[in-house]
Amino acid sequence: MALSEAEVARYARQLLLPGMGEGAQETLRGARVRVTGGGLATAPAVYYLAAAGVGTIWIDDPDLVTPDTGAGFALGRADAGRPRAAALAEFARSANALVTAEPFRPGMRATALLICGATPDVSRAIADEARLLQLPHVVADVDGQGGAATAVPVGAPCYACATRPGLGAPPTAEGGAAVGALAALELLLLLTSVSQEPRARRVEVFRGTPLVRATERQPGCACMGPSAAGLAP
Amino acid sequence: MTARIPAARIDIRAHACPVTWVKARIALGRIAEGEVLEVLLVDGEPRENVPRSAEEDGHRVVRLEPAPEEGAGTWRAWLERGAPREERTWP
Repeated sequence: MALSEAEVARYARQLLLPGMGEGAQETLRGARVRVTGGGLATAPAVYYLAAAGVGTIWIDDPDLVTPDTGAGFALGRADAGRPRAAALAEFARSANALVTAEPFRPGMRATALLICGATPDVSRAIADEARLLQLPHVVADVDGQGGAATAVPVGAPCYACATRPGLGAPPTAEGGAAVGALAALELLLLLTSVSQEPRARRVEVFRGTPLVRATERQPGCACMGPSAAGLAP
Repeated sequence: MTARIPAARIDIRAHACPVTWVKARIALGRIAEGEVLEVLLVDGEPRENVPRSAEEDGHRVVRLEPAPEEGAGTWRAWLERGAPREERTWP
């Protein structure tokens, strides 16, 4: 379905970006993205997905808003004690009334995942689930004031293969904002295919210096075997 | 010279930059290569920028002329859709 007048006005500047156009914007509108994990990148990622026009955003986060949630720009004091998923869904809708955002419920079938685990172990478990379900996904790892975004198209080297040790610094809200935005952009590029560049890659931003590298499968990784095609039980 | 009939027509007189060019660009994306889009626009910024943006995007400006019969200050642009461009500018 063609873009409405309201959508053209809302996304006008984005529609002028290289490779973007009505088709890519319609693809975003048709996407159903599950944002999962309670890490510091979640709120910024949700904001950018909504602002870009991802049609359906499901927030998968069972925790409550606490003072250390680290998303002051998204969640205020009045949100303390509320389910974080509901509060972030409301925040997403306030960023763009043209999108649907709501807490994730079992049975909702996403077309892609944006994984913002509070720890790499949590992210790895969710990423493995996404790989087995053959869903494209991006993992946001906050590390100090930076971190990394790992893009995993279907069939690409998995997140575990792509992960490298970072600084190991405590995550900060600044790092969450930077990596959340970066991870959202990587997912938008995956969804729209506006770039011909390889999308299986890891973008690292440590100490303000970005490093982009294509990911490679590690020998012996489960993603090389039958499970790589989603055939594992 | 063979007279050409526009394959589509849009009126962007009520819009401002950047929506003027966005709407023209979307309309160009809906017609076939070599077909012509007629655009009604107002004098000033749209008359200057929409044809220029179309050329920068690989299309051809076939006509650009006043169209007073459509209303005071109205201009008509005929834009011929060019070949799709390879764009690899994303990192």
